[in-house]
Amino acid sequence: MKIMKQLMILFLVCLISYGISLVLPFAFPASIISMLLMLLLMLLRIIRPESIRETAELLLANMAFFFIPSGVQIIAYYHVIRGDVLQLLLVCLLSLVITFAVTAFTVLGVIRMMGKSE
Amino acid sequence: MELPQLFYQICDHSFFGVFLTLFCYLIGLWIYERTRFALLHPVLIAVILIGGILIYFHIPLESYDKGGDLITLFLSPVTAVLAYEIYRQRKTLASYFLPVIVGCAVGSGVSLFSVTLFCRLFGLSEEITASILAKSVTTPIAVEITGMIGGIPSLTVVVVVLTGIMGAVLSPVLIKLFHIKSKVAAGVAIGTCSHAIGTSKAIELGQTQGAMSGISIGISGIVTVAFVMIMAALL
Repeated sequence: MKIMKQLMILFLVCLISYGISLVLPFAFPASIISMLLMLLLMLLRIIRPESIRETAELLLANMAFFFIPSGVQIIAYYHVIRGDVLQLLLVCLLSLVITFAVTAFTVLGVIRMMGKSE
Repeated sequence: MELPQLFYQICDHSFFGVFLTLFCYLIGLWIYERTRFALLHPVLIAVILIGGILIYFHIPLESYDKGGDLITLFLSPVTAVLAYEIYRQRKTLASYFLPVIVGCAVGSGVSLFSVTLFCRLFGLSEEITASILAKSVTTPIAVEITGMIGGIPSLTVVVVVLTGIMGAVLSPVLIKLFHIKSKVAAGVAIGTCSHAIGTSKAIELGQTQGAMSGISIGISGIVTVAFVMIMAALL
């Protein structure tokens, strides 16, 4: 009963967000709108954290699971990248390491400039 | 291997994709929990197992997708509940708002630039470059960007998931390698370079990391769209 109600709330927020994405003048993913809308509704105390707690914790704990079918699509597109697999992996790896380092040190730099510490 | 017709009829029902995904994910979790070896990420194991089974038994991807699409449908509510994680860390977010925003903006720029640079360096085609340019952001935004610049959206989905798995696997290593002691910096870095799959690892590392990673998915996504729109307008 509790979980069903929480799922209803979640899908309602997703549905409203989809509606918002349809009327926006530029293309923007509905799922990000639903995250921002959910945060806004929680900050405005329209949705209390208790109203979604169990479902939120279940979904968050298994978040990566929901990406599996997207990953499986590789078998349909393998022929496009067949000759470039190694290069593709290298691009992903190098870009990931550089992005990670630059982002982390930028955050640290700004925290230091603001004179804050954790 | 060819199996009797009845088998393919059964596989053509949505039950099949849902069952197979759950089954392979649980095997992945089981292996990961026993080995604790970061490279054996449950999603990676599941994707390899499912892909292998479909190819070996000649099961059409369309049959798997009938169930797979039902799981993909949940990506939206899953993204929405990230707000729950962010809400719980709203005080941290409020006091580190500027570093988070600046970190995401700089990181997203570096990601776009480094992908373009390395694709040129390794001689990858324009089509592949366009398909993987937005690989660091969450799937729906990345697909949108690929559509804007003429790549192959399905390849984008695959590379986005691949990057996410890489981020989930490597982030604990990178945190140690670069001596990132700040939980906020670690979280923002994970979310910016490896979106929601990386965030699943950030949540394991701690509440602050998880929430900062979660909010970074949204901010980096928005910033990346803006950057690509500007780049497209200039070129």
